[in-house]
Amino acid sequence: MKMFKKFTVTALTAVIAVTASFAGAAAAADSLKGKITVNGSTALLPLTLQAAKEFQKLHPKVKIAASGKGSVTGPQAVKKGIADIGACDWDASIDVPGFKAFDGQVANKVAVIPFATIVNKNVGVDNLTTEQLKGIYAGKITNWKEVGGSDANIVVITRAFGSGTRVNYQAKALGGGDIVKKEKNYKETGSSGDMKTAVGTTPNAIGYIDLVYVTGGDIKAVKFNGVEANTDNVINGSYKIWAYGYYMTKGQPTGATKEFIEYVQSKKFQQGSLKKLKFIPISAMQS
Amino acid sequence: MGAPVHGLTAKTQTSLEEVKRNTKRHRRHLLGNSISRYYFLFSILALCLVLGLVIVFIGKTALLLFTRISPQDFFFSFNWTPEEEAFGAAAFIVNTLSLTALTLVIAVPISVGMAVLCAEIAPNWLKSFIRPVLDLLVGIPSIVYGYLGLTVLLPFLRRVSGEGLGDGLLAAALVLALMVLPTICRISDDAIVAVPRKYRDAAYALGSTRLQVIMRIVLPAASRGIISAVILGMTRAVGETMAVVMVIGNTPQLAKSLFAPTSVLTSNIVMQISNVEFDSTWNYSLHMMAFLLLLISFVLILIIRLLGRKRRDA
Repeated sequence: MKMFKKFTVTALTAVIAVTASFAGAAAAADSLKGKITVNGSTALLPLTLQAAKEFQKLHPKVKIAASGKGSVTGPQAVKKGIADIGACDWDASIDVPGFKAFDGQVANKVAVIPFATIVNKNVGVDNLTTEQLKGIYAGKITNWKEVGGSDANIVVITRAFGSGTRVNYQAKALGGGDIVKKEKNYKETGSSGDMKTAVGTTPNAIGYIDLVYVTGGDIKAVKFNGVEANTDNVINGSYKIWAYGYYMTKGQPTGATKEFIEYVQSKKFQQGSLKKLKFIPISAMQS
Repeated sequence: MGAPVHGLTAKTQTSLEEVKRNTKRHRRHLLGNSISRYYFLFSILALCLVLGLVIVFIGKTALLLFTRISPQDFFFSFNWTPEEEAFGAAAFIVNTLSLTALTLVIAVPISVGMAVLCAEIAPNWLKSFIRPVLDLLVGIPSIVYGYLGLTVLLPFLRRVSGEGLGDGLLAAALVLALMVLPTICRISDDAIVAVPRKYRDAAYALGSTRLQVIMRIVLPAASRGIISAVILGMTRAVGETMAVVMVIGNTPQLAKSLFAPTSVLTSNIVMQISNVEFDSTWNYSLHMMAFLLLLISFVLILIIRLLGRKRRDA
């Protein structure tokens, strides 16, 4: 399996490197050289790919290969030396529930990722508090009428343990509360896409997802402690369910890797492409 | 007098050339033969190598598990909570077995019935329609079946049962039954067609009805072939992943009812493998589960081979 993982990474690398080199071919000559491999979170992959495309136009001699799997594979690949950058939905240099810190790695903030609590369109409830969410995910609240809805069982949909979205949602929305599995009306999904389908097709379902996925008429985002889930409320500090996306590196980044991370963090990229991809610039949170 | 000598010489020369040509051709053939022999040998060795690598690498990582936890904890504990270092796979093993059993209970009667129809009863035009359709069904990617299960079967089950979700063993078994049905049906069909005509003629001559011929003569005579077909369907049911993941609920717990969200060996591996750390007990447990699946399918294939051998002996 290990070998297979390596093989997959190599194959993806090759494909992306080829695409990337075409994109960069037209740009001006430049002294910066090198090869950067990015591995990890699928949530951050669109951002990485876009940044790689732009960065290689500026520096045609730099080859960037990016692939996405699970969040934890990012820091792992960095630890093993397979990747220069490990994209991760949480700060992997410190302990989080379920995952130990990766020693010697540096977390570089690159984006802000907002998350939303979502329900099936048939659910009448449009606001949930931290306590109510805690109760629902701990299995103590099982009927929508207990939180102001109609008399129907709550169907809890969650991401499998290990998902970056789950780590962040548990920390920010449930105040560190547990997600308890149940005999009935409980289901785990493997990806954000599955989550969206599951909540969208199951009446009385509740789940959580990256805010960018909240589109279409089958699911709706509910307010959290009375605050609507949107980017403005994240920036003004009233909506609390969000997390930084990180690029993990082995020690402080150097050379082309350093330049690339700086490019992603630059005002030009943060205010331009990053916003277009519906992430929130990190500078917005620090002001 | 000169002419015949000349003729003779000429003839000798021709035959000499011929011999040379023949020798060349002979060598060419020899070369061709040996090259293709090495090529064929290489092909089979390449396959053996890959198979060997699969067993070695999966097995090696899998066996590392028992340096961390005892086999009892893995095979006999029903508690799978990786975040609390509890890696009991018994629930998945039992679920895999019950899912396979349930699938076969649904699929075997229907597919054998269809096979009998195909082989014994249907008129030729219907046969020539059903058989290609079944072959087509075998080739449909499992994700398509899974998607149908998710969007058509689950809402239907929800309405019928009144459950909130509908995910569980029953949904997975129904999807799997649909998937293994064509496999079992086509192979049983071939087995039934292979029953010699004289058996049927003899039975009819003794005054049997068609039903009696089918139930008492044809099916028993084809039974080994049908059992092979069932086992082949079983291997598919045991190993199927994508379609199952979409409708089973993916919750690591023992299925106590048909509608309880649950998880089997394959679905648990695919759900968790991308989230585990390389050198963790968790990763080793998932490899051990993969190794178990390998073992199960080896055993099933072995049974098919043994059955086949017995049939030839008989």
